[in-house]
Amino acid sequence: MEAYLGIDVGSVTTKFAVLDEKDELVTSLYTRTLGRPIDVIQESMQKILARLPADLVIKGVGTTGSARYLAGVVVGADVVKNEVTAHAVGASHYIPDVQTIIEIGGQDSKMIIMRDGIVTDFGMNTVCAAGTGSFLDQQASRLNIEIEDFGPLALKSKSAVRIAGRCTVFAESDMIHKQQMGYGVQDILYGLCEALTRNYLNNIGLGKEILPPVAFQGGVASNVGIVRAFEESLKTEIVVPPHHQVMGAIGVALLSHEKSMDNGGTTKFKGFGISDMEYAATSFECKACTNICEIIQIKVERKVIARWGGRCDKWDDING
Amino acid sequence: MLRIGIPRGLLYYQYYPLWSTFFQEMGMEVVTSNPTSKAIMAAGSARMVAETCLPVKVYCGHVIELVGKCDYLFIPAIRSIQKNVYNCSKFLGLPDLIKAVVPKCPPIIDVDIDVSKGKVSLHPSSYEIGRWIKPRPKREKEAAKLAWESHLAYIKAMESEMVSPLEYLSGQKPSLASQGNEHFTVALIGHPYNIYDEFITHRIIHRLNTLGARVVLPEMAGRDLLAAGVVKVVGRPYWTYEDEIVGAGGHYLDADVDGVVAIVSFGCGPDSTMIDVVQRYARRPGARPLLTLTIDEHTGEAGMVTRLEAFLDMVARKARRRSA
Repeated sequence: MEAYLGIDVGSVTTKFAVLDEKDELVTSLYTRTLGRPIDVIQESMQKILARLPADLVIKGVGTTGSARYLAGVVVGADVVKNEVTAHAVGASHYIPDVQTIIEIGGQDSKMIIMRDGIVTDFGMNTVCAAGTGSFLDQQASRLNIEIEDFGPLALKSKSAVRIAGRCTVFAESDMIHKQQMGYGVQDILYGLCEALTRNYLNNIGLGKEILPPVAFQGGVASNVGIVRAFEESLKTEIVVPPHHQVMGAIGVALLSHEKSMDNGGTTKFKGFGISDMEYAATSFECKACTNICEIIQIKVERKVIARWGGRCDKWDDING
Repeated sequence: MLRIGIPRGLLYYQYYPLWSTFFQEMGMEVVTSNPTSKAIMAAGSARMVAETCLPVKVYCGHVIELVGKCDYLFIPAIRSIQKNVYNCSKFLGLPDLIKAVVPKCPPIIDVDIDVSKGKVSLHPSSYEIGRWIKPRPKREKEAAKLAWESHLAYIKAMESEMVSPLEYLSGQKPSLASQGNEHFTVALIGHPYNIYDEFITHRIIHRLNTLGARVVLPEMAGRDLLAAGVVKVVGRPYWTYEDEIVGAGGHYLDADVDGVVAIVSFGCGPDSTMIDVVQRYARRPGARPLLTLTIDEHTGEAGMVTRLEAFLDMVARKARRRSA
């Protein structure tokens, strides 16, 4: 059996997806990045291998997410793609006529506008993390609620509390204020869901033509409270596609399948054996000019396989 | 020999040939700072109040680098270069701003260029340089004439020979005219002090080329088309250098390009209004796709690269569909 592997290494979570030759999902994995992307990739590759049929051969690998270049050199990727394209490709695989994609991850959020199967516009959050998964995570733990229970509890709300969602700092103090006034936790939680969607639509959705079908993916799409809040403010049905958490990984696996078709099936994949190899990332300051760039070196078995971080090409050639 | 310092920031990218020729032809040495680096940006940011935009902070860093290396600094206050069209307050007050924050600042030649008031224009023959430099330099008239010629030659090279300002000013070989035609074309718009500062915009032209895009620049459209772009989008120009964003946006969003990338400074008042009208214009049916990148001193390369890559994927797919 031939298969394609997609890896999405995000700031907070790392996602894996394996697709067969019919692009059906064989297995997927969703795990925390824990600030150690290389280790997490190595460990996860072992777990994935254990779940795969023995006759399965990986014919193509793609990486995406903010650590896509790092993941790309570690596993030997055929395709290294940005998150916007990967998510768009993944979503249109499950919802071919999708026109709007809402994607909210751990530290970033984006909106992708598609028409006739191609991306026509997109927006990403800039420096602010208000309205992303990390914010919900923080507030849930402050209220002593498991993130998994957040959505169901919020849905029990009868009348939501209005919470200032423009900035996480203000949202938090507003929330504490409301809680001390005696509002119920479910009303506060749903108020947070509304604040997050309001913030998202006013920032990333500003000036965008939001037409159905609307797909909602990324980790936060698991939160039924947020889904309901989006449905109420957009007055349209929100479709949460299957495997929405790993959609970026699925998208990039699809792209690696495409690439494999184009290049006759040769892959740069280093195999599942990379789990046993010794990877190390070291850094040093380049003092060749006043920019003092911090150069990162990725080594496998003590051999440098990649370098980046410089503002010029000086260190890019790893053979030099 | 008298040394005149011209910092490599802000209007350097528009007027360096003009000003450097003027002083050199009067027998002075022109010194300029090195291209922006981390150290220059840090030195400037440390001296400026937090609210100023990145290009002004960077400019301040360039001035600091010239302290001790020149006898005079040339920092004109450009109030207006066109009747009833106004400049950002930071350009108006630039010499005073610099004087107030740069320690051991050399004397500043702060020519007050104000075409609306009708006295001093961009043409150096109106500068009356003897008010700063004594004895009054000889050959002033002739130097002004030669300087103006080199200014016009610079504009002409950008308009008709597709030389990028960066290449012209650093004496590099022009590369944009010989870009391949097999790829798609992206117009890069914004103020020269942003798009040609390779440090603050992370070598964006080179990056776009590497990602397979042919790049065209505002200057290449020519002054007339840029002015027409401003009229088309907002009717009457209000801001000086509005043509670099509104004019270039109005022109390229309807032109034969596959996409437009706009660079604006975070915290810039005029930019925030200019980019808004351009974004509204880009929403008209048939307009080319537009990507806006807002830069400040914390702008990481990764965020910019992700946006550029995603934008170019989109542009490439659209271009493929159009040609199919």
